[in-house]
Amino acid sequence: MGLAILLGLFALSITFGLPVAYAIGLSAVAAFAYEGLPLLIAFQRIVSGVSVFSLLAIPFFIFAGELMLHGGIAARLVRLASSAVGWMRGGLGQVNVFSSMLFGGISGSAVADVSALGSLLIPVMKEKGYEDDYAVNVTVTSSIAGILIPPSHNMILFVVAAGGGLSVSKLFIAGIIPGVLMCLGLAVAARWVAIRRNYPVEEFAGWNVIAMATVAAIPGLFTAVIIVGGALSGVFTVTESGAIGAIYAIAVTTLAYRSLSLADFWTAVIRSVKTTGMVMILVACASAFGYMLAFYQVPAKLATALFWLSDNPIVILLVMNLMLLVLGMIMDMAALILICTPIFLPVAVGLGMDPIQFGVMMMMNLGLGLCTPPVGACLFVGCAIGGVPIERAVRTIWPFYFAILVALMLVTFIPAISTLLPGLID
Amino acid sequence: EWKGWNIHVPDYPVSVAMDDFIAKASEVTGGAVSGKTFHGGVLGSQPDAITQMQIGGINYAVFNMGPMGPIVPETNVLSLPFIFKDMDHMHRVMDGAFGDKLGEAMAAKGLVPLAWYDSGARSFYNSQKPINTPSDLDGMKFRVMNNELFVGMVEALGGNATPMAFSEVYQSLKTGVVDGAENNWPSYESTNHYEVAGYYSLSQHLILPECLCVSKASWDQLSAEDQAKVRKVARDSADLQRKLWADRAKASQAKVLESGVKFNEIADKAPFQDAMSAVYTAAIAKTPELEQLIADIKAVD
Amino acid sequence: MTDIPPVTRNVDRLLGWVAQICTWISGLCLVTLVATFGWLVFGRYVLNSTPTWVEQLSLLMIVTITFLSSAVGVHEKSHLSVDILPGLLPPELRRWVHVLIYATLFGFGLVMMVNAYGLVRFTWAQRIPLLDIPEGVRSIPMTVSGGLIMLFSVGNTLRALTGPLEDDLPPVIEQDELLPDADALKKDLM
Ligand code: NA
Ligand code: NA
Repeated sequence: MGLAILLGLFALSITFGLPVAYAIGLSAVAAFAYEGLPLLIAFQRIVSGVSVFSLLAIPFFIFAGELMLHGGIAARLVRLASSAVGWMRGGLGQVNVFSSMLFGGISGSAVADVSALGSLLIPVMKEKGYEDDYAVNVTVTSSIAGILIPPSHNMILFVVAAGGGLSVSKLFIAGIIPGVLMCLGLAVAARWVAIRRNYPVEEFAGWNVIAMATVAAIPGLFTAVIIVGGALSGVFTVTESGAIGAIYAIAVTTLAYRSLSLADFWTAVIRSVKTTGMVMILVACASAFGYMLAFYQVPAKLATALFWLSDNPIVILLVMNLMLLVLGMIMDMAALILICTPIFLPVAVGLGMDPIQFGVMMMMNLGLGLCTPPVGACLFVGCAIGGVPIERAVRTIWPFYFAILVALMLVTFIPAISTLLPGLID
Repeated sequence: EWKGWNIHVPDYPVSVAMDDFIAKASEVTGGAVSGKTFHGGVLGSQPDAITQMQIGGINYAVFNMGPMGPIVPETNVLSLPFIFKDMDHMHRVMDGAFGDKLGEAMAAKGLVPLAWYDSGARSFYNSQKPINTPSDLDGMKFRVMNNELFVGMVEALGGNATPMAFSEVYQSLKTGVVDGAENNWPSYESTNHYEVAGYYSLSQHLILPECLCVSKASWDQLSAEDQAKVRKVARDSADLQRKLWADRAKASQAKVLESGVKFNEIADKAPFQDAMSAVYTAAIAKTPELEQLIADIKAVD
Repeated sequence: MTDIPPVTRNVDRLLGWVAQICTWISGLCLVTLVATFGWLVFGRYVLNSTPTWVEQLSLLMIVTITFLSSAVGVHEKSHLSVDILPGLLPPELRRWVHVLIYATLFGFGLVMMVNAYGLVRFTWAQRIPLLDIPEGVRSIPMTVSGGLIMLFSVGNTLRALTGPLEDDLPPVIEQDELLPDADALKKDLM
């Protein structure tokens, strides 16, 4: 009964449109009350949930990303992508995917990727004769690269939800190959559609244009090198490297690019704290929710149910993927990472899966959920920018879904894709 | 139905002993006491769990006495470096009148200790060199727990004390953000810190007991008769835990030594102990009750 | 916008200021966080003396940012929500679903404020190690946040009841606001 209240009230309140974070908090508090547990404890969980050292990296990554955006780095990355891959069939589709791959190294957020690159590229694509549904589809699906390619604040959430003990730096570099692989798949899909729709080809810009664009983009890309490299080399902890990355971003945008005014700086600060607040209140409320899940012993029960269903690891992995996909369609990524990790991770580890591989699989899976109706933040933002109704965008998005699903299956069943790079730093 | 909190994984000595305690308690009280232990810290960190016990969400738990200081200042006496001569001395002190006296201070804050478990002796380990004298710590960065006493201890020995969340320590040792840390054999082994910090120097500067506690509210609901029975099975579980712990410590030590860890005893601990007078003075200045408690411990042979 | 009653508009403006102040405080916390971590690294490598207060202080900062700016999110309706049902409803009914949501948020804010204050009092006697201030300080932002959620929910209810319906729809994404030199780049790409 208590579990029914916890899950039922949660489902009911998000259906009515209560913000997801408060829906999680409300249903947890109701379950506490039903079980006669002191409500003080529910709120202790909520405040302790964010009083966690590893989580400090999240505002730092978000801040570094915002600074680079307002300091003009995104535009330089698009220039680089455009000169490098713009000459291919459906060139702007390729530019879009390639930009997301580069941008992924700075922004830890898929939604930031869609709003930044989308507002830039979607109008240009429409102008050049690409249909708007194509422009939106490419932008939205390639934005998942931001979650996989380090740094990524969602991976920090995963490490925290897994109960510490996992290395953030290892998980970071584990995402690189899957992220690139997925982008290659999307590039193929973008090309396939472009050929069928007979989209234009640009002229090759020439090697020196590529060289100049690369030079211009390097200082910005170096933010990612500082954050990831600083942590890997051991000069800083992951948390510190986030802060140093932000400090570097301030330096490079004011000194090298000279494009960050004091007003831009404050805008970046304000936008960062707003994003941080939204992510962290989810973490906070999910902590109380997780307490009740542990209280009802949901993780153990679900594991039993999964193993009752089948003892074939392939089947269990497929079922887990399917459950994550369905949940990802109706719920936000951060909330799902926090709630599902303690439930699914022990099952995956029980099957002999490396926790790092599981993390990458989960990121990619839930990332796909950001691009699907009925609830997909990236799809919503992309459609809003492109002025395309969601139904119309989704009707032609399937080649891109297919590309991501193929990448997801490869990541699920070939451990080396995610464990090869982390294995090298041992 | 009591709810038990435990930070350790299910097969750890503490965890086995706690499961044994609640099963036996149910047996001897004819079901007046029954419960389930939630292992692995799923109900929160230790400071949070202590608060939950005070509020009434958790009924029993095993707490390490290191982070108890902010809640029951008297218990800081156990966190003073070199306060106990050795493990046996600690057992004699805690199982005797002193343990009861400290138990009263804890009961006043809603935590009733029934028995004292072991968590071994903590020693320094690092990635650079064996430690034989305090000057060996000069300029080295040591991770310590979040407690002024441990910061003070490392600083008094000339090291650079670095408070750091436990989850960051492995990576920091590996990459040199810190040079060393301090812990007991089983933790040194199970956290894999021995892979990245291969010098273990047997300073045994902290011999911190853990306590099996029951919340005051749950305790007061039991009849005096049941209380006596529960206290008895708690003591029995402590015997079990101490035995399991000793085995575990031996096994962990053997495992890390086999892997090539350089281990040294410290021939003369006196310079380390002498350096602690500043730490003691500062602690007493902050909590005057400590002076008497220190004397009490020293009085036990 | 002419059919918004003056009361609603004045309340909105007042709550806008409150939200603004909370955002500024959060922003200052973020800047402080970055600066203290810079100092931490500087202390470790240059001074060879690690500041021991950074870790605990930074946790208080992140708690402050979380609870203040999430409350502001209620005012600005920027929290992630699903809105499946409201979107399917006729406009007049949607108005009442929104009122129901704000009433629920008001209730949650109240429970949050009361219990967070309870935590402040309960943990006031404990000390935060290495900072030596009361542990209860940690729950103050959550207490304030509960009160702010109540306040902003009242404002939202007022808006939902008296404002035009469009006011309740999710905000339109402002294009280009992110990219200062987007126009020049667009010209390049065209
Ligand atoms: Na990223
Ligand atoms: Na894109």
